[in-house]
Amino acid sequence: MLQIEALHLEDFGPFKGKQSLRFSLEDGVTIIYGENMRGKTSLLNAIRFAFFGKVLGRGRKTLALHKIGNWEQTSLGKFGFQVQLEFREDNHKYRLTRSCHPRSGIVAPSDDSDYTIEYFLSCDGNVMGPQQAETELKRILPEQISRFFLFDGELLQEYEDLLNSETDMGRRISEAIERILGVPVLTTARATLSALKDKSEHREALAAQGDQKTRELGKHLAELHAQRQTLREDTQRLERDLEQARSQKAALEEAMKKKERLAAWLDKRDILERMLREITSRREVKQVELQQAMATAWTALLDEPIRQAAKALRTQEDALQTEIMRHEVLRELQANANSECPACLQVVSPEARKRIEISLAHSTGQDRGQRQRALAAVRRKLAALEDHGGLSQKSALRLLWDAVDDAEMDFANKKSERDEITKQLESVDEEALRKTKTDFEAAIKSIDALEKGIVKSREAIEQYNADAENIQRRLDKLGGGSLAKERRRREIYSNLHRLFDAAVGNYREQLRKRVEADATRHFRALTTEPDYAALKINDSYGLTIIHKDGSDIPVRSAGAEHVVALCLIGALQNNAPLRGPIIIDSPFGRLDRSHTRNIVKALPTMTKQIILLVYDDELPADIARNELKAKLRGEWRLERRSAKHTDLVPRKD
Amino acid sequence: MANDKKTVGITATNAAALAHLVSAGHFSSELDAAKFAMAYAIKAGVRSGATDGAETKWNVGSIDPDGSMRSLLEALFPESTVEPYRLAEYLMNEGIKALGEQGGRTNVYDMLFPASEARG
Repeated sequence: MLQIEALHLEDFGPFKGKQSLRFSLEDGVTIIYGENMRGKTSLLNAIRFAFFGKVLGRGRKTLALHKIGNWEQTSLGKFGFQVQLEFREDNHKYRLTRSCHPRSGIVAPSDDSDYTIEYFLSCDGNVMGPQQAETELKRILPEQISRFFLFDGELLQEYEDLLNSETDMGRRISEAIERILGVPVLTTARATLSALKDKSEHREALAAQGDQKTRELGKHLAELHAQRQTLREDTQRLERDLEQARSQKAALEEAMKKKERLAAWLDKRDILERMLREITSRREVKQVELQQAMATAWTALLDEPIRQAAKALRTQEDALQTEIMRHEVLRELQANANSECPACLQVVSPEARKRIEISLAHSTGQDRGQRQRALAAVRRKLAALEDHGGLSQKSALRLLWDAVDDAEMDFANKKSERDEITKQLESVDEEALRKTKTDFEAAIKSIDALEKGIVKSREAIEQYNADAENIQRRLDKLGGGSLAKERRRREIYSNLHRLFDAAVGNYREQLRKRVEADATRHFRALTTEPDYAALKINDSYGLTIIHKDGSDIPVRSAGAEHVVALCLIGALQNNAPLRGPIIIDSPFGRLDRSHTRNIVKALPTMTKQIILLVYDDELPADIARNELKAKLRGEWRLERRSAKHTDLVPRKD
Repeated sequence: MANDKKTVGITATNAAALAHLVSAGHFSSELDAAKFAMAYAIKAGVRSGATDGAETKWNVGSIDPDGSMRSLLEALFPESTVEPYRLAEYLMNEGIKALGEQGGRTNVYDMLFPASEARG
């Protein structure tokens, strides 16, 4: 069980000069209080740097070490920093010192390449050699499982991915969980036995070739083994490639997540660009149609003048028609002196006839012709006016105009949106962003191809195995002096391999059950919701909250996610062969006071040593003291000296 | 009418206004815009008249291939003593001048579809 005894810092982050923190080795919790920007995350990073030589920033991005040295010191020309950890493990006392200093001859370093990192590990006062130190450190705290010991809220959020076995993050965490639970011990043994089994099969095949009656079968079997070996090597290569592709995909996924907002902008801008092109085409088509329609649109302006002119012409037409008709009637009455008037059917009186004569005397044939021509002229004009009546085309014209207007408005809106996004993207390296995306897509394709390739290879290996077994059975029947010994060897390895194969499955199942039971126990202690009864584990160690009526709770808040993740980490600590301190940075930021109290109270049940980095409002000292009582082993405060200088002091209030 | 014009022109001062009208993109040619300007002048109540100093722009055959514009002008201006194409030239120039005076505020849409006609 790893326990940290002391942390010594020199010019690390805001911790100027040499400063130290001592931790109790008795079971319980040490709390370090510090407001924002005082150096809580730097303390977590100091421990991370000591163990793994790296420092992480937001989004789990590796930070440049050049920027980690104390700013006040660097402004005075003193560069570099050092962290020393004292810890105990299995009754041995270790001292790990890791330093980062400018390379020899470099006075003013400007980036990480100007620094050199050195580390020393001593055990019980004896300094270890570099190789031994590295092996020992990897044994004590492998970096792959550091997430269960050193974490913050951001890391807790990642456990959500365990519920989705499709994500690479989920797969990676799942692998890390199996690592901390010790599953690799069994899987490595199984792989070794598999190799031994293969070797023994091959030896048997060689032995069979030494005997006349089994020679042919032995030869055939050896060939099958050779082919199977080639396939296995191919499969292993594919598996390595797959692992590499998955790591690459996960890294790209992470990079994309960090730049999610920018990528979304980029996508949006691409969509807007496409839409602008479509709108431009649509507008151009409608514009041409509108221009064509506008060639005759001028008549649409003339509705009113045409109406008025037509009205006047119709009056003229009526007058001329009346005049012509009157003249015709008078002429008929004159021609038929005794006939009746065609209108009133009365006999025309002599006085009336006289008036007709007078009237007709003033009208000549030429007048009649003029009237007819005048009427024809009026009718031509009326026809011309009717031809130019613009009303019928006006609605079609309006539709076209509206379509162009709409397209222009649409274009203006989209363009303004596009311009706004372009402005936001001004300082962004678009090329790199696009490359990340295309690389990610390529990685997905590559993974798919590799997975299919592996499935095919495994199927082929199965076929070779079946063929080899057939020959093996025939050999078994034939037997032979030297074969018996090799057969026994092969049977032993084969049985052992089967045993370990079954053991891996059983152990995993048992672990899952134990982790589920412990996580549920922690969850019941932590949750404030009485209707939540348990946590259910899936194959990837993802945990689902179960309601007391047995149903799953399908969605949970970020706060609930943190609670569930803490339950999982607690359960893993309870079941792992490798155990150590839990060091958490601002774990209660998303939690209400009741959950905070529950978690503080339950923390000592999760592991022996817990170090909390909190700000006062997140975990008031009185609550911590009340809930932890004797389990509270130490209280420290990060005290501001300046914006670039914080001191570690024991909390006295 | 035998003295009517065979060509129609635009004055040098109106040429820029006509080009501006076309540049807005609603008309495919200066002739379409000029006809629109003519209609605008008629609607605005410009009476009969003639233009001096117009520079030849179009042949009447291009402006009015079927003679319908001529008939229309005769119908709209029955009392006019000015020949139809001479009148057309005058009305075009008057219309362009009036539209040009509106500067950038020229809104062909509002002329075609006044606010009183609700937009569909």
